[in-house]
Amino acid sequence: MLLGPGIAWYLGIAAFLFGIGALGVLVRRNPLIVLLSLEIMLNGGNLALIAFARHAGNGAGQIFALAVMAVAASEVCVGLGLVVAINRRRLALDVDELSELRG
Amino acid sequence: MITGAWLCLFSPLAGTVLITLAGGRISRRTAAWISTLSVFVAFAGALWSFFGLEAKSNRSGYLDTAWTWLQGGSFKVGLSIFVDPLSTMMMLIVAGVGALIVLYSIGYMEGDDEERRYFAYMSLFVFSMLLLVEGGNLLLLLAGWGLVGLSSYLLIGFWHERPTAVAAAKKAFVMNAVGDTTMALAFFVLILHSGSLEFGNVFDTATTLSPTAVNLVALGLLGGAAAKSAQIPLHTWLPDAMEGPTPVSALIHAATMVTAGVYLIARTHPIFEQARTVELVAAGMGALTLLVAGLIALVQTDIKRVIAYSTMSQIGYMFLGAGVGAYAGGMFHLMTHAFFKALLFMAAGVIIHALAGEQDIRKMRGIGTLMPWTKWAFLAGALALVGLPPFSGFFSKDAIIAAALHDHWYGVILALAGLAGAFLTGLYTFRLYFIVFPGSPSAFVREHHHAHEGREGPRTMLVPVGILGVLAVAGGWIQFSPFWHPVTTWLEPAARTLGVAEPTNTQEAIASIAAVLLGLAGVGVAYALYGRSEPVAVRVPASVRRALEHKLYFDEAYDALFYRPAAALADWLRSDFEEPVVLASGSDLGETALDIGRGTGRLQTGLLRTYVFFLGTGMAIVAVVFLIVK
Repeated sequence: MLLGPGIAWYLGIAAFLFGIGALGVLVRRNPLIVLLSLEIMLNGGNLALIAFARHAGNGAGQIFALAVMAVAASEVCVGLGLVVAINRRRLALDVDELSELRG
Repeated sequence: MITGAWLCLFSPLAGTVLITLAGGRISRRTAAWISTLSVFVAFAGALWSFFGLEAKSNRSGYLDTAWTWLQGGSFKVGLSIFVDPLSTMMMLIVAGVGALIVLYSIGYMEGDDEERRYFAYMSLFVFSMLLLVEGGNLLLLLAGWGLVGLSSYLLIGFWHERPTAVAAAKKAFVMNAVGDTTMALAFFVLILHSGSLEFGNVFDTATTLSPTAVNLVALGLLGGAAAKSAQIPLHTWLPDAMEGPTPVSALIHAATMVTAGVYLIARTHPIFEQARTVELVAAGMGALTLLVAGLIALVQTDIKRVIAYSTMSQIGYMFLGAGVGAYAGGMFHLMTHAFFKALLFMAAGVIIHALAGEQDIRKMRGIGTLMPWTKWAFLAGALALVGLPPFSGFFSKDAIIAAALHDHWYGVILALAGLAGAFLTGLYTFRLYFIVFPGSPSAFVREHHHAHEGREGPRTMLVPVGILGVLAVAGGWIQFSPFWHPVTTWLEPAARTLGVAEPTNTQEAIASIAAVLLGLAGVGVAYALYGRSEPVAVRVPASVRRALEHKLYFDEAYDALFYRPAAALADWLRSDFEEPVVLASGSDLGETALDIGRGTGRLQTGLLRTYVFFLGTGMAIVAVVFLIVK
């Protein structure tokens, strides 16, 4: 049972958040902003999961959202660690410069 | 009895292994004596099994299996030996004459750089031949057959620094491989029909086989026999095999190898009797070979080659005898031939040794005055070869001609060929004798002859020559048909002479008188032509002489028929297939793989955002496809 706006609104906002995040990942070059945008994408996904959980009337989606948050937290740890390591080596904080894996 | 046969078989092998393992730790002389001793022990083993078998009342044959050698389904072959009158007779000849030849080699090979290798090979050769004659089933016989081919290859090419010796060894091996193949094919047919290669089973099945199958089997066996025994058309390797050391020639010609074909026909006679046509082909092949070889021998100038062609000719007689069904006659001639042919080769070897390796008979003229004993030994061998009484060849050769005479109209033709061969034998043998021995020594002989410590050669060489001289003179008296014939009686349980080949006394007499007279005529003609101090110039059309000197163009024909087409085909395949297709395709494959790698490598930009873009696009496409399909 869902009160307030219909599920379409929630999903719309979730998609909007995901879109902003994806755009940020694609166009920004600062790794900090990229990580930030990734978080936004993940939260867009979380919003959709929770909306579906309410819509379906059980807690499975919420549990899933909690798991995503845990994953996001560890991912931020690794990501920020990498940013710090890059900075320590006095490399430019620019994802386009980090292209040594080019074939 | 059986123990003796096993001892006989494995003693020479033990000699080989011992010499091989000892390597440089033993002196060359020790290696030589190990080899000699091992073959003499084999001869003792052969005597043991001979007397053991003689004491038995039932001599139809004893099979002894050591273990199952190989097994596949219901097909089973044991490592077994078969002791019967035929195999004991061959064991005695192979080990006996072989032992004398190995003893002789001690003197002949002295000072050669690789004496140890030589003696290891000699023992291996005797072992191979003994395996061939003692093998208790056709597969072991084939194993011995192949080993004989291998050892002959090793020994003919013993002087491996000579290109001609290597070529001769290769030729012998290839020609023999042709025969081995036809034999193996015959065995496959036998396995198909009887499921076994045991002598007893196979011979029982032979009577129930269809004519096609039995003829195929007999032809295959005949092909093997012809290759090993140097019968036309597979004979070209034998004269070239003279490139080996002289004792090797003696071993190949007298004791081992070339006699194997005659043994094979006698051993598998139940099969040949079901295929009488093929058996007569064998007889005809023998008759043709004895004539052709006799003719070619007339113009050869190498002492060993003349004797080699005489071997071909005498084996032709044996094939003739075995082919018309006189197995005992063929085997008896095999035995006397082993004596006098080994004697001739060894006497020739003594001369070659004394002349420091010279083999051209035109240079040897007058050697007889310097080497009287060798001269007498050679003369004894020559008289036995021509078949004059009382020398051994007389008893055995005439018996074959007589047996042929009894066998219908074609038998008469074969007998006539045999008689013509007797004339040729007298002619070429005494041409050789009159050119080499009588007269005053030529300048070459005076210059190059060197005596060995006052004797004509080392003692180890002279003793075997003496023993074989006695055997060549007296060995034939064992059997004097129609008066006494212990060899025929002895072989009766193993290879009974066919009824058609048992000549009447008149036929024996006709054959003997005609052969002796023709042999004498040959000797007489040889004396008239070559007996004077100045050889008479013989007027022969140049084309005939040239054809004989080219050995009737067999080598040239095989070269044009087989070698050149094969070489041309190989060249064509290389230039038009190997190089453009096989080799080029290899580098093409590599190039293509590299190109693909370079192309896909371009996707790997190293830029995070392209990866994300592709990831997102991919997911979007999957989602859209998923929705549409749903």
